[in-house]
Amino acid sequence: MTAVVLAAVVGALFALGTFLLLRRDLIRVVWGLAIISQAANVYLLSMGGIAAGTADSVPVLAGHGDHVPETADPLVQALVLTAIVIGFGMTAFALVLSYRVYEEHDTLDVSDLGDRE
Amino acid sequence: MTISTLTADTALVTLAALPAGTESQLVIAPMLIVLVAAVGSLLLSRWPRARIGVSLAGGAAYAIAVAAIDWYVVLAPDAPGIATYQVGDLPAPFGITLVVDGLSAFMLTMVAVLGIASLIFSTRVLPEIDRRSYYFPLFHFLALGVTGAFLTGDLFNLFVWFEVMLMASYIFVAYYGGPQHTRAAFWYVALNLLASAVFLLAVGGIYATTGTLNMADLSRRLADPAAYGIEPAPVVGLFALLLSVFAIKAGLVPFQFWIPTAYRAAPPQITALLAGATKKVGIYAIIRLSFTVFADADVPVELAVPGTELAVSGDSPLVFVGSALFVMAAASILVGGVGAVGRESIEGVLAYSSIAQVGFIAIPVAIAATAPELRHLAVVAALVYALNHTLAKGLLFLAVGAVRSATGTSRLADLGGLAGRSPPLAIGFFVGALALVGIPPLSGFFGKFLVFDAAARVGSAPVVGLLLLGSLLTIAYMTRTWNRSFWGVQTDAVENAAVDGVQVGVVVALAVAIVAVGVGFEPVYEFADAAATAALDSEAYVEAVDPIEPGEFESEGGEH
Repeated sequence: MTAVVLAAVVGALFALGTFLLLRRDLIRVVWGLAIISQAANVYLLSMGGIAAGTADSVPVLAGHGDHVPETADPLVQALVLTAIVIGFGMTAFALVLSYRVYEEHDTLDVSDLGDRE
Repeated sequence: MTISTLTADTALVTLAALPAGTESQLVIAPMLIVLVAAVGSLLLSRWPRARIGVSLAGGAAYAIAVAAIDWYVVLAPDAPGIATYQVGDLPAPFGITLVVDGLSAFMLTMVAVLGIASLIFSTRVLPEIDRRSYYFPLFHFLALGVTGAFLTGDLFNLFVWFEVMLMASYIFVAYYGGPQHTRAAFWYVALNLLASAVFLLAVGGIYATTGTLNMADLSRRLADPAAYGIEPAPVVGLFALLLSVFAIKAGLVPFQFWIPTAYRAAPPQITALLAGATKKVGIYAIIRLSFTVFADADVPVELAVPGTELAVSGDSPLVFVGSALFVMAAASILVGGVGAVGRESIEGVLAYSSIAQVGFIAIPVAIAATAPELRHLAVVAALVYALNHTLAKGLLFLAVGAVRSATGTSRLADLGGLAGRSPPLAIGFFVGALALVGIPPLSGFFGKFLVFDAAARVGSAPVVGLLLLGSLLTIAYMTRTWNRSFWGVQTDAVENAAVDGVQVGVVVALAVAIVAVGVGFEPVYEFADAAATAALDSEAYVEAVDPIEPGEFESEGGEH
């Protein structure tokens, strides 16, 4: 059940992100990118396995023999933490850059940007 | 100047610690040096001269460290050929592994040579006010990202180093801050953010499928999936995702559209690095993952070519990679070559040419992936061609930088008669152009020769024909650029040009390097040969990194 919900959430996020990415407004493009990177993060997190961790499902925990506590896979959490930080910085940079684009071009409309060399 | 002596000390300390066995601190030396240089130049923002001093010292120390790696790890008579560094002394696959083998060393050497040239060039290009900006720290962070990507031993860290490299390059594309620069930078950022998400998807999928991200561990598990209880089939699709990400970095068609605008927007000496170094990171990642990691995966692949009876089949993901690369490389050669012929500025020509040339590098990689018996020769061809492209394209972009800072323009319509204004610059550009075309005895000749050799041995007439067409296009657009900018009547811009001696000196030095590589090709070939051997020998790679089995960790404790 959880797996289906997560899959649906990831799918919906990607759909929404792609939709926004294809808008003409630059801010929506940035929103789209942010949502897509969050979708990738949720996906990455779910790749650790949704069931309670055992030596079979969580490779890193296998090193601890059979006495595996019920826990999620810590590795994907570490990966996602890194990915979130990077994605956060990138989104901030993209926002600043879109403000700069607005200053330079007086517009945030993608189709107007393309016309000026 | 304390920071610069610190940098030099770091180099000396690591030089003294020669590799014992296959573990060596030398592996991490280039990254540490460039990190110290980045932080040092960041702290010295109030003292432009000291900042430049630290930057140059960092660059020199980096070159020394790379040369030491080349000698002690790869080229010396009793060199181990491969060395690792387990960060924090955590054993692979749990810790972060840094690995240097022939392939990484070859790539690092290319980047070091071009990086030094670009760095010296930078010190002469920036006006006084710009030297106070974050140019030099960013330059070092770019180098740090590239170095990290070459040295890392696991997929997620590859992602991280890609991001480090990209963050610096985003800012360089937007560096001048004019309308076309911000626009180019925005699309460059947007595309790469999307690519990063795709990269994460592939990394997550590979972890879920195989249970590891360490490249050596991955290679070992994929070679014997049954022993590890994994089902390797999804790896082909995930590898395809990775391939698209790397193709974006390398600028292969259909992912080439960001290149012309981004290359025109960035400062020319940075464009030289983008074309010569970050592009090669994409190529390196394709070669490393294809031949060291995924080559032994035992997955039956059957691809029907739509609309025909033809099918591509084999028992490794490489079959798929090879076919996809063939198509992308062929399209790159055509799109880049045809696009370059009609450009209005020298940068435009070189940017499109860069798309075409990366096709020439990808063709032998594709041959290597599809024809196992030619694999070694084809990888050598790709590496030698990549080396030539780095030197020649780096030289040409730096020459454009010199032209632009002398005349204020790089539009072909505003140029003419540059050869009379500055003969050394003209000779440098000419050598670069000839190397790109592939005239003996320059480095380009051997690159082209090996690529044609590999294609001829496959016996595929269309591929040879395509390469010939690509070469003819190269001759066409380089001749046109040369005639329009260096020959003919001197225009006003050229007559009033103030050519900078150091800039021209850097261009000439790279031209000498191209001639030297061509004339003394034997050692270069041996190095490329060692690099190709290292790339194809996944057993030695696994052995050197030595990922321990899950379950072994507890018994071995921390002594490993």
